[in-house]
Amino acid sequence: MLSLLLLLLSLPPALALECSKDHQDGYQVRLSIKTALGDQAYDWNESELFLFKATIAFAMRKYTKNETYDVSNIVVCNETPRVSFWFIVVNPENPTLAITKTRVEEAVRVSRNRINNAFLLTDKTLEFLGIPPTLATPVTPATPPWLIVFGVVIGAVCAGIVALLISSFVRGKRANKAKEFAEEDDQAKGADKGISGETFEDRNGVYNQAFSDDDRFTQL
Amino acid sequence: MEMEKDARPSWDNPMQFVLACVSYAVGLGNVWRFPYLCQMHGGGGFMIPYLLMLILEGIPLFYMELAIGQKMRLGSIGAWSAINPYLGGVGIASVVTSLYLCLYYNVINAWSFWYLFHSFQSVLPWAECPVNSNQTGYIEECEVATPTQYFFYRETLNISPSIDDNGGIHMGQALCLVLAWMIVYLFIVRGVKSTGKVVYFTATFPYVVLIIYLIRGVTLHGAMNGVKYMFTPKLEQLADPRTWINAATQIFFSLGLGFGSLIAFASYNHHNNNFERQAIVVSLINSGTSIFASIVTFSIYGFKATFNYESCLERMRLLLLNTFDMAEDTITLDNVDYWITELNRTHPDQFANLAPKLDTCDLVAELDTAVEGTGLAFIVYSEAIKNMPASQLWSVLYFSMLLLLGMGSMLGNVTAIITPLCDFKVLARNFSNETLNGLVCVFCLLLGLGFTTRSGNYWFTMFNEYGATFSLLFIVLIEIITVSYVYGLKRFEKDIEDMLGHRPNWYWKIMWAVVSPVLLISLFIFYIVDYIRGGTPTYQAWDAVLGKSVVMEYPWYGQAFIALLLVSSVCCVPITALYAFCKKKQKEAKSVPHHEHTVSTVSGV
Repeated sequence: MLSLLLLLLSLPPALALECSKDHQDGYQVRLSIKTALGDQAYDWNESELFLFKATIAFAMRKYTKNETYDVSNIVVCNETPRVSFWFIVVNPENPTLAITKTRVEEAVRVSRNRINNAFLLTDKTLEFLGIPPTLATPVTPATPPWLIVFGVVIGAVCAGIVALLISSFVRGKRANKAKEFAEEDDQAKGADKGISGETFEDRNGVYNQAFSDDDRFTQL
Repeated sequence: MEMEKDARPSWDNPMQFVLACVSYAVGLGNVWRFPYLCQMHGGGGFMIPYLLMLILEGIPLFYMELAIGQKMRLGSIGAWSAINPYLGGVGIASVVTSLYLCLYYNVINAWSFWYLFHSFQSVLPWAECPVNSNQTGYIEECEVATPTQYFFYRETLNISPSIDDNGGIHMGQALCLVLAWMIVYLFIVRGVKSTGKVVYFTATFPYVVLIIYLIRGVTLHGAMNGVKYMFTPKLEQLADPRTWINAATQIFFSLGLGFGSLIAFASYNHHNNNFERQAIVVSLINSGTSIFASIVTFSIYGFKATFNYESCLERMRLLLLNTFDMAEDTITLDNVDYWITELNRTHPDQFANLAPKLDTCDLVAELDTAVEGTGLAFIVYSEAIKNMPASQLWSVLYFSMLLLLGMGSMLGNVTAIITPLCDFKVLARNFSNETLNGLVCVFCLLLGLGFTTRSGNYWFTMFNEYGATFSLLFIVLIEIITVSYVYGLKRFEKDIEDMLGHRPNWYWKIMWAVVSPVLLISLFIFYIVDYIRGGTPTYQAWDAVLGKSVVMEYPWYGQAFIALLLVSSVCCVPITALYAFCKKKQKEAKSVPHHEHTVSTVSGV
């Protein structure tokens, strides 16, 4: 009877899953708190580990949607001063069974952002070795921004060129007109000289008294 | 009284001429070639050959070109034909070389525009690698290379693996090239009247940006490492002949001699403009800008090298921490080296496994990586900029400066082509100024689109290395020999006295007659020897798989094209001489029978 009792007592520890390094369903986690936070780094202690277990349990719950995971279902071992450790997730109904690696990976990937934020860390400073980070979807705007700036600049340049060309054209026309007027003026003035001789200013010389029109008044 | 024919347009004031020359001479080479040469040839010690060559070669040749332009009041073709009818080919060779330069130089401006427009984003696109299709990591090519290299080679150029793979035109590049040519047209549409106004801005704004960058640069973390490295002279480099040759070629190309731009600019001067003082001023400003720009570049180098060095240390620190599972604050950046030796001693087996991943972090090795050309401007600088706080602002400033430097030089290049064309009465009569300028721009644009294809960068490098180097040496050599010996130094002196009021003193005469020709001949011979000894010409091709540049040989058509580039401008000189000779013979043959005819009628009476 006593031996049976002893046997029963020793069974549960033997039935609990053994967490070890390089377990087939385990993942290594590494935190670089001081690198990430510098002066505001918090110390890694039991409470922080508890928070970690809670976040993983949350991730599993969220992923599986109905199975109730608890902190006791997250088994942690091999803690080092680096702040790295191994963890295995066990099935809440049957603590001897570990959840497969792929399921754990997917669960972590889905809630990665939440897990990171709980510890004020990023994908680089809270590493799950073997789980690739989910990179944020790049924001692609409808028109690439460079085209907008390009459009503005080329519009301004076109406007400048058109303005310059038009002003050259207008200036050219005005110069032509002025030339025409100047030529006509020349011709008109020349004709005047021929008819009445009343030019007080000869283009080429001085006023010639000999041609002044004194004959209009008959002499007495 | 006949209405006077349109007088030759001229600068509004001499300041515009000086600024135009400064804007032309101070170009991208001052920013990306001089610092490289400084670094390769012993830092501060390089100043000695550089300044010496400026005095022996740079200023006298600059003076000579300005004198010719101002005296002849014609573009390069007309000016050289007037000096000696057999040597009009020198002018044509200048125009051809300027044409080649115009074709490829504006592509650099297109790249500057591309980078400038892409700076208006919250995260600079060359700061991070883009995410791959299933969002698990970054694009492989970007991982193997760096994000800045990826942005330049893949997103800007979409470069093909070799010059044989042509690919299509990169639409973004083509648009930027169109914009670049439209802006060039806008600046030159009215000839010197518009160019003269623009150069106030293109000549002065780059200095504003350089000063801002100097202040920003020297206050960056680690900048002093770079500046110290630059200024510690390694005088043993002076014993290497390549130092002296590179100093001579740098002065020569930096001043933009031989393209005909200086002759063109000077041809719009007033007859009595004091170009002697202006020549000295512009040459000194050009060299001063090179030195100034290299201080800025070296402070940026220092920053980048220190950043890389510290990143390397950080990587090693993390590697050690992760492998040996030590607490984070045991190893800091300062004691990484100590811990490496310590851990090697205490855990030799584990350390041996680690050895392949361990890089030696060396600050001097980082500073020693010298880069020049487009690699410096678009890769190294943008890498440094992305690590600065408020990087978008610095990026916009920097690429605007590159643009203005490039545009300023383009003004000179295009003027060198247009001025001789406008001198031809046939063209000037039938086409207005604006139309002719527009046609030249459109022509260059269409040919330049070839550089926006996927293999365009390889053709660009070919043009950059062979299009204008050898031919310029030949052109300027013929120029100086013509002026000194064919035209005659005495006549040249008289012309200068006519313009300035005094004869050039003995320094100028010695330089023109003896020193500069000797220097140029030795440079010329050196180039030929180097070209022959170099074997098959090679180029750097971007390997997308390896993520770095590999050396490849040019295919047969590439080499043929190089030969064509070299020969096409050089052979203009003998061909034109031959043509002039034949024309003279024809004229002589025609005039002889006429003379006989008149003699017979006279004798008949």
